[in-house]
Amino acid sequence: MDRKELETKILELVAISYNEKASGLSLATNFKNDLVGASVQMVALVAEIENELDIMIALQDAAACNTIEDLVNAVEAEM
Amino acid sequence: MSVLDNIYAKAKKNPQRVAFPEAANEKMMQAAYETGKEGYIIPVLVGNAEELRILAKERGYDSSVFTIVDINEEEYKNSVIEKFVALPDTKLKEKALGRRMQDPLYYAMAMQKAGEVGVTFAGIDNTTGDVLLAGQMMIGLQPGISTVSSIGLCDIPGFEGSEGTLLAVGDSAVCTNPSADQLADIAISACDTVKNLLAWEPRCAMVSYSTLGSGQGELVDKVTEAVRIANEKRPDLNIDGEFQFDAAISPAVAAKKVKRESSVAGKANVTIWPDLNVGNVGVKLIQQFGHADAYGPMLQGFNSIVCDCSRGAPVSEIKGNIVISAVRAAAMGQV
Repeated sequence: MDRKELETKILELVAISYNEKASGLSLATNFKNDLVGASVQMVALVAEIENELDIMIALQDAAACNTIEDLVNAVEAEM
Repeated sequence: MSVLDNIYAKAKKNPQRVAFPEAANEKMMQAAYETGKEGYIIPVLVGNAEELRILAKERGYDSSVFTIVDINEEEYKNSVIEKFVALPDTKLKEKALGRRMQDPLYYAMAMQKAGEVGVTFAGIDNTTGDVLLAGQMMIGLQPGISTVSSIGLCDIPGFEGSEGTLLAVGDSAVCTNPSADQLADIAISACDTVKNLLAWEPRCAMVSYSTLGSGQGELVDKVTEAVRIANEKRPDLNIDGEFQFDAAISPAVAAKKVKRESSVAGKANVTIWPDLNVGNVGVKLIQQFGHADAYGPMLQGFNSIVCDCSRGAPVSEIKGNIVISAVRAAAMGQV
């Protein structure tokens, strides 16, 4: 999976976990400021990523991500 | 008989299986051993079995008190995975779950979700954040609740409240600046916690610097909105406010300040702080000036009982929190 495919996949999974339209999301979308959700949504997102991409990322690392791009970087580092 | 004595007596009648994913820790193993030996719980140590057996022997413990689960043993692990993924409300699939279960904290919580134990007790090696996030991933939150929070139980000498010297307060430990929605969740969870642990009929006051509009501002608005949301979500519970603290717990003050019917004002047995600043200072005031014993924090909002103890806690405090968790689990109808 190249970087572009990974970005598309993560955007898709964020949309599912946060109940948003993927078209309304971008790499610059900020989890705290732009998305309505609590840590429970982030945990669900990490579970989806782990199920789909066959990796494991520390929940604390994911929770520390400000933007979707930060999360893509964190996932890429584990692949 | 003190409140803690009552809780210990309850625990002994129906000992729960409690998972300890940090059992190699000396204080944790001692607390697990003593509560097990004294008959309050059935301690299940989760980790590297060989290491745990050696440590238990070195420390002079009778190994028959412990059930030891080896996280490297595949057969049992696979049976837990099978039960876990078959549940309708779990997030992880087999492979991802197997990876997570390399960590004893996640292994223990997978066992709990699968019904193999009633409680996971951790927090001495893992941070509070680790335990809360793992709990959300593995155990999940109760339907309708989106916030993990906590309450403490204060035993205040000389206090003549509606439950004698006892008052439950929350959240003094987890949610820093809850929204109105989150505050409503804290109140709802607190009512369920005291019902399960103490068999009280909860009367929950949401406190502020204002009593029913005596003060104005966004801080008050948040609390009144939280009361509205809580009552809408759980009309079966007695949750009322906004009240000043004295109007919440003193019948005389309530008679002066609360000019409408309330099943809570003046006789609250649970008070919910508007934020963590108030919560932390409030508990310290009760402890310092009221010379109170404060038990907890008890985590709430999870589908079943997860306990996070303070990393600096002495063995006696850890034991108390283990027993409290076990009694809460028994009341929730767990293993």
